[in-house]
Amino acid sequence: MKRSETRKNSYTGYLMMTVVLAVITMIACVLIFRFYFSHFTAETDAGRYENYYVMIAENSNDSLWQSIYEGAYEAGIDVNSYVDLLNGSFDNNYSKEDLMRIAIASQVDGIIVAADKSAGMTELIDEAAGEGIPVVTLYGDNTHSRRCTFVGIGSYDLGREYGKEVLEIVQEKQALRVEADGQGETAVSDEPDRVEVAVLVNAHAQDYGQNILCSGIQDTIEKGKKDGMDIRLTLISIDDTNAFFVEESIRDIFMEGAAPDIIVCLNELNTVCVYRAVVDYNRVGQVNILGYYDSETILKAIERNVIYATVSIDTEQMGRYCVDALTEYHTTGNTSQYFMADIKLINRENVEEHMREVAENDK
Amino acid sequence: MTNRLHRLLNHSLQGKISSIYILTNLFVCLVNLLLILGINRMSNEMELVYRDNLKLNELTAALDDAQNYMTDYLNAKASDSLEDYYRSSEHYLALVEELGDEVSASAFDRMKRNIRHMSFCYVEFTDQAIEAKRGRNVEKYRIRYESATRMYDYINTYIGSLNSQQFKNNSVNYSELAQAFRLFETVGIGVIAVVIFLNVSIIIKLVGAIISPLKTLAKSADEVAKGNFDIALLEVESQDEIGVVTGAFNQMVVSIRNYIERIRRSMEVERAMKEKEFRMEAHLKDAQLKYLQAQINPHFLFNTLNASAQLAMLEGADRTYRYVQNVAEFFRYNVKNSSANVTVREEIELVDNYIYILNVRFSGDIHYEKYVDDALLQIEMPSMILQPIVENSVNHGIREMAGAGRIWLSVYQRDSCACISIRDNGIGIQQDVAERILNGTYREENTDTGSNGIGMDNVIARLRLFTEREDVMSIQSTGENQGTEIIIFLPFMGQEEADVQNHDCG
Repeated sequence: MKRSETRKNSYTGYLMMTVVLAVITMIACVLIFRFYFSHFTAETDAGRYENYYVMIAENSNDSLWQSIYEGAYEAGIDVNSYVDLLNGSFDNNYSKEDLMRIAIASQVDGIIVAADKSAGMTELIDEAAGEGIPVVTLYGDNTHSRRCTFVGIGSYDLGREYGKEVLEIVQEKQALRVEADGQGETAVSDEPDRVEVAVLVNAHAQDYGQNILCSGIQDTIEKGKKDGMDIRLTLISIDDTNAFFVEESIRDIFMEGAAPDIIVCLNELNTVCVYRAVVDYNRVGQVNILGYYDSETILKAIERNVIYATVSIDTEQMGRYCVDALTEYHTTGNTSQYFMADIKLINRENVEEHMREVAENDK
Repeated sequence: MTNRLHRLLNHSLQGKISSIYILTNLFVCLVNLLLILGINRMSNEMELVYRDNLKLNELTAALDDAQNYMTDYLNAKASDSLEDYYRSSEHYLALVEELGDEVSASAFDRMKRNIRHMSFCYVEFTDQAIEAKRGRNVEKYRIRYESATRMYDYINTYIGSLNSQQFKNNSVNYSELAQAFRLFETVGIGVIAVVIFLNVSIIIKLVGAIISPLKTLAKSADEVAKGNFDIALLEVESQDEIGVVTGAFNQMVVSIRNYIERIRRSMEVERAMKEKEFRMEAHLKDAQLKYLQAQINPHFLFNTLNASAQLAMLEGADRTYRYVQNVAEFFRYNVKNSSANVTVREEIELVDNYIYILNVRFSGDIHYEKYVDDALLQIEMPSMILQPIVENSVNHGIREMAGAGRIWLSVYQRDSCACISIRDNGIGIQQDVAERILNGTYREENTDTGSNGIGMDNVIARLRLFTEREDVMSIQSTGENQGTEIIIFLPFMGQEEADVQNHDCG
């Protein structure tokens, strides 16, 4: 009887085992599905934003503009607003005017645009203002329009910084000359050497900022010029109608023979192109470059003594100012007319420190 | 649950095996169903991947329609075109409404939102252009047309960009999904393999468990077939066919065992009987042989004696005739009753003959008296019993007494036995000799004393075989020269007792 009981129990055991295995297998199957589909069916829980701002940049690939956009984006997220870089949304390259029209038609809550002085831009800004869309001009202003704020850098101040650097370069050169004379080398001429300073301006952009900047340089040089200094400031127009013309125009300067002693660049692309050209044409030491913006390439060039100095713009601050202005406009209906971002000169002396700071910020 | 399982265990074999197969198949079916559901769902997902792209294509087509019909109308001012325009712009707006108006972190959502607003703007322009055309405001409808066309380009480009970006994204999704699908396929095959393996092992285990009593039964049956009935009885574990067969098998084994036991016993009895018969015959043969050895051709002697008797009668010698006649009777008895049983009467007649012969031989020395209960004369007994005993009495008891010797023969009934007593007044017999005779251990030193050769041991053995009891004879002697009495006990055998009683009554 006992054996029979044992066998019955073993029957029961097997049946139970079957049922348990079946249940386990099914649960496992269901779990596998869940696991797979959680990946595909998960709703993208994208946050909803109260305001939608768009930024129309000069050049969306430029690290300066990328950096400004990032600043604006971060600032927007803080106040529950989304800032979109409109340049990146399209497969073809629309002009800033086209992008303005698209932004107006899209009924966005605010436009941040790298404006210029053109009448078309003025008209579009006014149209946007008419539709109740506040427009912030960034980097380049359009003073005649109904834009609510301009966020930029003080061009005159920047010019003065450049002027100071020019004077410093000239003094260094003179000191070298005197030293050479003292060592008994015969002077070629008694007349002081003329120092050619070239400021590369964009031909296409009718940006008054460039002129203000140039006058800043000019004024500084005139005021700080000592006796025996012959400094001639020239403007070299760079054709920027096409993306590749910039590089060609800059190469032309060197090809034509007498390259200027000091070249002042007013944007990142120009700086990089000049830097390459100087290296390629073996003019390192003869041509001093005053660059613009503190991209990694430029900072490395300063370290290597190819670029004399550059200016660092607090791009994050610029972006933040744009969003602040729009937020303020939305809450109070009014905002300050100008926001100026900080600039900082970077040369051989403080480049390492600056690079360290940048690295820390990136972290 | 356990009760239900036990009820299942009491089902028929077919029911049990069927339920195991149904259960396991159901298991496989369920797992397959789950896998199929999963595959179905995955393929649905895959179909949905490019749904957004299809929608955008539809949107582009509707936008193209609206633009074309507007241009048609502005060109030709055909009322058909106007109708088509209104229908297409309505359709376009309906599609645009689905795009949503949310500003989210998803670039697609924001692009859709912008397209939506731009589309409203576009339709406003086209409506204004149509209105201006109807109002023949040429300058206005030209401007509106240009604005609308520019917006159309923007929207088209925007949708194109969105479409291509979504396509890129979806392609990544699709390839991931396809990869997952392939993985799922492998996992599915693995799961099915595992399930089949489990099923097979479960079926083997369960069927094995069900079949194992059958195996035990087969083993026992094999043992029985080999002739070994001393096997332990099997346990009946379930109420199915195997249980029934096991029960029947047990019953069969028990029956066969009993039957064999019965046969064995009856064979033993038969064998004992055969043995008895054989021994009896052997003793008789021994007696006859001895007898034949002792006598030279009894038939010849008997015939010769008969002829002598007739000769004596013819010559008128009556006593000689009587003597020879008696001698002839004596030998005839020996020849006639060689094997069969005889009656007490016949045995007594033989003793009479013998005494007569002796008395003639020894001139009437022996005084012979007999007291016979007639009712007992018909009782059967072995032949050649009494004569050897009387011969013994004469030879050993009274031979030397020269005329004083007496012999008493009595036949009487005591309890359920017929007793035949032969008593003499001779020299008697010592007690130990009497016992040795009864034990069969006594051997006479000299056997050729003129007797007919049948010894007491033979007589006793035949009596014992006939009566099937040990206590067939007693030998009593009260002392030296006090005579000896030999009593034979013949127990009645059913019919004989009845006959005796009848005779008594009669």
